[in-house]
Amino acid sequence: MSSVESFIEELAEINDNDFASAKDFPLMPEGEAFDMGKAEDGTPLIDPRIFDSQEFFRNPYPYYRILRDHYPVFHDKLHNCYWVTRYDDITECYFDDEGFNTIPKGSSSGVLGNTQLELSGVEHRRRRNLYGQHLVGQSLKNRVPAIERLADEMIDDWDKLAASGSDFVSDQNGTRTIELSTVFANEFPVRVVCEVLGFPKEAQTQFYYWYNSMMSGLGGSDTHKQGVEARQDLEDYVAGIVEQRRVKPTFLYDSEGKLIGKDIITKLCETRVDGDFLSTEEITSNIALIVAAGGETTRGAIMNMWTLLLRHPDQFAAVVANDDNWDRAFHETLRHSSSIGGQPRHNTFDVEMHGVKVPAGSLMQMVDFAANHDERIFKDPETFNIFRDDLYSGKLLRSGYRKEGRCSHMAFGVGPHLCPGAWISHQEAVVGARILLGRMKNPRINEDKMPKDIDGTSPAPMGIVSVRQLWLDYDLA
Amino acid sequence: MASVIKNEPFAGRNGVVISKRPIRNEGSPEYRTYEVHQRERVGESTEKIKPAQLISEAYRQNPYPLLEILRENYPCYRDWLSNSYWITPYNEVTSIFTDEANFETRPKTWYYGLDYLGRDLGQEPGVLEAEERLIDAQGKLVAAEISGALASKTSGDLATEFAAQYSIQLLMTTLAIPEEDTGRFASIFWRMQRGTSWNPQLQQEGRKAINALISYLDPIVTQRTSQPGDDLISAMIQVDSQVTVQDVVVTLLERDHETLQGALANMWFLLLTHPGEFEKACSEKRLMKLAYMETLRHSTPVLSAHRFARNEVERYGRLIPKGSRLVCSAAAANRDPRIFKDPDTFIVDRKDMCQREPRGQYRADGLATGIAFGLGKPSLQPAVPEDQPRSHYAIARDTAVTASQILLQHIENIELIDEPHLSSLTVGEMHTCWKLPVTFKAK
Repeated sequence: MSSVESFIEELAEINDNDFASAKDFPLMPEGEAFDMGKAEDGTPLIDPRIFDSQEFFRNPYPYYRILRDHYPVFHDKLHNCYWVTRYDDITECYFDDEGFNTIPKGSSSGVLGNTQLELSGVEHRRRRNLYGQHLVGQSLKNRVPAIERLADEMIDDWDKLAASGSDFVSDQNGTRTIELSTVFANEFPVRVVCEVLGFPKEAQTQFYYWYNSMMSGLGGSDTHKQGVEARQDLEDYVAGIVEQRRVKPTFLYDSEGKLIGKDIITKLCETRVDGDFLSTEEITSNIALIVAAGGETTRGAIMNMWTLLLRHPDQFAAVVANDDNWDRAFHETLRHSSSIGGQPRHNTFDVEMHGVKVPAGSLMQMVDFAANHDERIFKDPETFNIFRDDLYSGKLLRSGYRKEGRCSHMAFGVGPHLCPGAWISHQEAVVGARILLGRMKNPRINEDKMPKDIDGTSPAPMGIVSVRQLWLDYDLA
Repeated sequence: MASVIKNEPFAGRNGVVISKRPIRNEGSPEYRTYEVHQRERVGESTEKIKPAQLISEAYRQNPYPLLEILRENYPCYRDWLSNSYWITPYNEVTSIFTDEANFETRPKTWYYGLDYLGRDLGQEPGVLEAEERLIDAQGKLVAAEISGALASKTSGDLATEFAAQYSIQLLMTTLAIPEEDTGRFASIFWRMQRGTSWNPQLQQEGRKAINALISYLDPIVTQRTSQPGDDLISAMIQVDSQVTVQDVVVTLLERDHETLQGALANMWFLLLTHPGEFEKACSEKRLMKLAYMETLRHSTPVLSAHRFARNEVERYGRLIPKGSRLVCSAAAANRDPRIFKDPDTFIVDRKDMCQREPRGQYRADGLATGIAFGLGKPSLQPAVPEDQPRSHYAIARDTAVTASQILLQHIENIELIDEPHLSSLTVGEMHTCWKLPVTFKAK
C-alpha cells in the first residue's frame, strides 16, 4: 500500500459544493468587510466574486480599503482586469492618455455608438472641443436663467400632483411629503440637456425614457436590448433634426433674447474631420452620450447631496446660512459618494506598477470611488464634512488641483478626459438646490419611508449606487 | 521625426515607478486614436444570455446548455463581465488554435505572476523521450497494482481509486518519488496546479505549494545531479548544466495534469451510464481507444482554453483589440452540430469523427477530431517519425486505454451505486466526475 492513498482519501472528501456558496456573500454592517480568508502573513484575501455581489454594491468601501492597502494593482483573473485604487496611481494614469488609452472601452459604445469616450489624443480633442465650449464659461452663465426656470416649472407641478393624489407628493397637516427623485431629480438633468441641445419641450418626456433605457442597457446588462432599441429610436428622432439643420442652422438665445451662438447640433453638422462632415450616426452618438452622461450623474449628485446634507443638520444649517457653501457641499458629496465609479483604461504598452506586470492591452479599471476614499489624500475619508481642509472645492480644473495639502476629488476624473459636463452638472446641482431650498420650508428626511439597512432600522447605505429614493417632508406655508 | 523615450523605468509625477517600453510620441503603430468598437444595431443584441450565467453555478455543473446558446447565436460573444470574447463554433475555435501568429497562450507561470521562476523543460527531446519510455513501462505495472487492490474488494470509487490514483501514482513513479513521500507530494502537486485559478484561496495554496515543492525537490535535484537515475527528474537535470530546481518545478507546473485523471474518470462515467456503448468498448482494444476519443469529444475535462490577441485583428465582423482574452470553448466546439451529427450523444464508434489524434490539422482524413486538453496548433510533423517520441496526446491516450483494459482483466459486473454527475470544483477548473462509486466482482 502506498501513501498516495492518503491523498486519494483527501480527494474523495472533496465536496463539489464547497465553492458554490461563496458567491452569496453575507451582507455586513456598513464599513465592515466580510472575511474572505487570509494569506499566511495575515493579508486579507479578495475573492473577485465580491465585485458582483449585492454586498459590494451597498458596502464597497471596506473592500476598496483592502485593495488600496494590500493590492494597489489587483489582478482579477475572473473579470480579466486589473483594479487600480490609489489616488496617486489613478491620476498618473489619467494624465497619460497615450500610455493608458480609453480604447477599446466599448462597454458604452455598443449602445451609445462611437463617442469621444473611446477616442484618444488629437481625435479626442477635436470632437470634444465641438461641444465642450457650450458647457463652460460665459455660455454656461447664459444658461443659468433657463436652468432656474426649468427647476421652478417642475416644482410648480407639485401642487397639481398633490391634488391628483400622486404617491410621490402628498399633503397632511400642513406638511408636504415628496419623493425627490420622482418629482425632481430624475428628470431635471434631462430637461437641462434638452434645453442645451435645443430640443423642443414636448420631446423631454420621450428623452427621459430613452435616457433611462440607454443607461440601464449599457455594458451588456440584462436590459441591453431595450438600450439598443432606445438608441435606435433616439437616432430616428434626431436624424430628422440633423438633416434639417444641415440645411438651415439654428441659433440659441438666452432669456433676454441675446444670441448665445449656434446650437450644438448645428455646430456638429458644420464640423469636418479629416475633410468629411460628421455622419448622422456620429452626431447621434454624441447626442446619445450627452443625454446619457448628463442625466444619471447629475441625478445622483443631487440625490446624494440632499441626503448627506439633511443627515448632517449642522452642515445643512451652514449651507442655509451661507449660499457659498453649496460649492463645498457639492464637491464633498462627489468625493464622499460620487455617482460614477471610475473609468476603464487599457495600457498601450507593457507596464509594471507596484510590482505587478500588466501586459499591453489589458483592461485597467481606475476606481474613482476608491481614490476619493484614499486616506493617503483625504483624512478620515468615510466622514462627510463639507468643511474638510484637504479637499479642493474651487473652480474645476482639467489639470486637477493638488496644492497646499488640498486635492480635487476624482468624480470627474482628471486630465484630457475630464468630464466635459463637470461645470454644467455643478451648475445644475447648485442652482437646482438654491431653488429647491427657496421653495421648501424646513426640509427634513422622512426616515420612516426611507429604505432600511439589514438591521431593519438604520438607513440603507449609499454604496456605489446613488440614493434611489429620497422622501422629504417640508412645511407648507 | 518621431521622438523616442528611452526604455528605462521612471518615476512618474506622483513617484509611482512605471516601467514602459519605448513610446513614440507620434506615429507609433501601437498607439491608435480612433474608435475600435462599433455600435450594436437592434437585432444584434445578445439578450439570449447574460454574462453572469457564464460564471454561474449552472455553468459550473453543466455548461453545455449555455454554450449551445452562445454557439448557435453569438459565435464570437463579447462578455463584458469577464472582459472576454467567447469563441464557440468548431471551425472558429480551431481557427484560433492554429493561429499562433495572432493568438498567444500564456504559461501557467503567468497566471501566478511568476514570469521568471524558471524554464519549462517539457519540450526538450531528452525529457520527451524519457517520459514516453517511463510511462509506457510503468503504466502497466501501476495499473495492475491498482486493479489488484480494487479486486480484493467488492466496491470502490472509480473516480478516485482508479482514475485519480492511476494518474497520480504514474506521475510519482516516473519521477521516482520515494514511496513514503508520495501522499505529501501528490497533495502539493495538486494544489500547485489549482493555484492558477481566479480563486484567492486556491492561489494562496498554490503559492505555498510551489515553495514547498522547491524545498522538497531541492535535495533530490542535488542528489540526482551527481547520481542520475532512470527517472523524469534526472532527465530534466540532464538537459544542460544550468538546470535548477526552479526549472524542474516550472516543468511540473506546466504539465497537462488534468488530461489523464479527468479523461479516465469521464470515460468510465460515460461507459457506465451507457451500457450499450460499454459493451462495444469492451469488445476490442481498438474500440476502447475510440471510446476514449469520443469521451474527449463528448465530455472534455478541459472545457476551454484562453488565448490572448498578440495583434489587433478583425474576426467574425469584430475588431478584436490587441491584448484581448479569447475563451476558446472546446466543450462548445465538440458539440457543434455542423461538425458532429447528434453531438450530445455518446457513440463509441462514431462515423463522423477522425479516429486518430490531430496531427498537422484538426481534420485528418477529412473528419474532425474532438478538441481537448486546450490543444494548440497540431504538430508540425504530420506523422511523427519512428525514432521520435509520440505526442503527449498519444501517450496519454495509450496509457489510459491500457490501464482501462487492465482494470477489466481484474474486475467484472461493474454496477453503479448511485447517479454520478460531472462538475467543476470552481468555474474554470477541470469538468469531471469526482465520485463514481461502483460495486463489482473480482475476476
